[in-house]
Amino acid sequence: MTTPPAAFRLSGVDVQLGGKPVLQDLSLEIGAGEHVALVGPSGAGKTTLLRAFTGVIGPRKGYVEVDGVRLDQLKPEELRSLRSQIGFVHQDHSLVPNLRVSQNVVAGRLGQRGFLSALRSMMRTKKEDLQEVHQILERVGIGEKLFQRTDSLSGGQQQRVALARALYQQPTCLLADEPVASVDPARARSLIRLMVELAKEDGWTLVVSLHNLNLARDFFPRVLGLRHGKVAYDGPPSALCEEQIHDLYHLEETAFGEGR
Amino acid sequence: MLQISGWIALGLIALAWIFSDIDFADLFSARRMDNFSRFAERALPDPLRQPGDGASLGAWVTEQMNLYGWRGMGATLGISVIAIVLAGGIGSILGAFGARNLMSAHPFVPHATAGHGACNHALDHVAQAVRILCILLRAIPEYIWAYLLLAMLGSSAWPAILALAIHNSGILGRLGGETIENLPSEPLRAMSMAGATRKEITIAGVFPMALGRYLLYFFYRFETCVREATVLGMLGIVSLGYYISESRAHDQYDELIFLVILGGVLVMFADILSDLARRWLRRSV
Repeated sequence: MTTPPAAFRLSGVDVQLGGKPVLQDLSLEIGAGEHVALVGPSGAGKTTLLRAFTGVIGPRKGYVEVDGVRLDQLKPEELRSLRSQIGFVHQDHSLVPNLRVSQNVVAGRLGQRGFLSALRSMMRTKKEDLQEVHQILERVGIGEKLFQRTDSLSGGQQQRVALARALYQQPTCLLADEPVASVDPARARSLIRLMVELAKEDGWTLVVSLHNLNLARDFFPRVLGLRHGKVAYDGPPSALCEEQIHDLYHLEETAFGEGR
Repeated sequence: MLQISGWIALGLIALAWIFSDIDFADLFSARRMDNFSRFAERALPDPLRQPGDGASLGAWVTEQMNLYGWRGMGATLGISVIAIVLAGGIGSILGAFGARNLMSAHPFVPHATAGHGACNHALDHVAQAVRILCILLRAIPEYIWAYLLLAMLGSSAWPAILALAIHNSGILGRLGGETIENLPSEPLRAMSMAGATRKEITIAGVFPMALGRYLLYFFYRFETCVREATVLGMLGIVSLGYYISESRAHDQYDELIFLVILGGVLVMFADILSDLARRWLRRSV
């Protein structure tokens, strides 16, 4: 029996943004169905890494593979179709503020529809689509917000809409970039728990970048520590000793101290 | 600062006086005064010129309204409404095609290099061409467009409608493009990251987000259109301006003043309408 290809594989990836190196000679693998927490100080390259997984940021050197396919060898429409299978929850929600919640969720499947069908789904969502959206909103705990204007919701509720939009994509994997950065600790915990549970139910690969190491410890079997665009730790949270934690986060202080 | 501006203004007036044919004393010459008093006398509505007959003023106003007033106002409003709707539609298309962030090879994902060679600079050129077209459309004033179109199409309301539509398409195209370029890019990038095409991002993200601001501009230009539709009548197009120049030709100064006031009322009406619409938009879109 052949082993299934890794969900994500980076091989010697270098990324520069604005002339500065962000990811340096990075190689790693995330297996299909794995749940991984991405930790590290600000500026370590967590966001860039997550975006590189979807081909939104292209490497200068090396390559990114998703399900065994190299992103740099895909035609634009193939890349689009691949992206439509990857759910992404953004730190800033990235919702259209003056649309209704239902419309923002329906937008998740734009990449899977033809233009006219997409237009129709945004203008007059079909009843069965609305029912599906409602079910998803129920799953993330805000079913009653279906027809509300998105910007009338609280930050935590908007984050749930963003999650619902990713769910509506029926993704094979979910990437989340600091999804709980703007949510209070109790809600942060319940949102991460929800993501992990949904990922287990639907069998997705889940990669979540987190600032809070406790959440990473409590919910994820694998922690990936990034520092200066390189892997500083990769393993189960239980093996993460004080010294390594110190190394991961202490450098942030010195980095600020030295003004780098 | 104020003092300097004052001196500069005085200096400019002095220069204009010295280097032009304008005779300032002429403004106050006996002939001008004579003309003005004749005009002022005739500008008084007919019933008011005969003392003690003020009651028939109402009847005179009704008569004037039935004669040209309603027709002129209706035509002016009709011309400006059709023109601004056309301009709004065309401007939104020009705006989208002229927005550099939307017309890039990878809309809203600036660092993408995946799919090498797909970098399509043709789109940049399209955006550039559309922006130049917008400049051309708005560089030529409505009045000149109408003048040209009258020569091409002959006398009807259409030269005025098209002239206003063309000029305002250029303005709304540019403002629409700028609106799109200033939109927050995160929600649009999120759609791109979920595999949406440029067209899909446009209908699902760009237009909804840009709509509020675009409509503000739309109503502001509508106001201007009503004003300009009156002026274009002076070219012989049936709007209030036409009846105004007709009254002037027939020395009917009371009628002329009445129609000028009517034009003012119409613009004020459009002003209030657009103000209400914009206030509502600010609150709800």
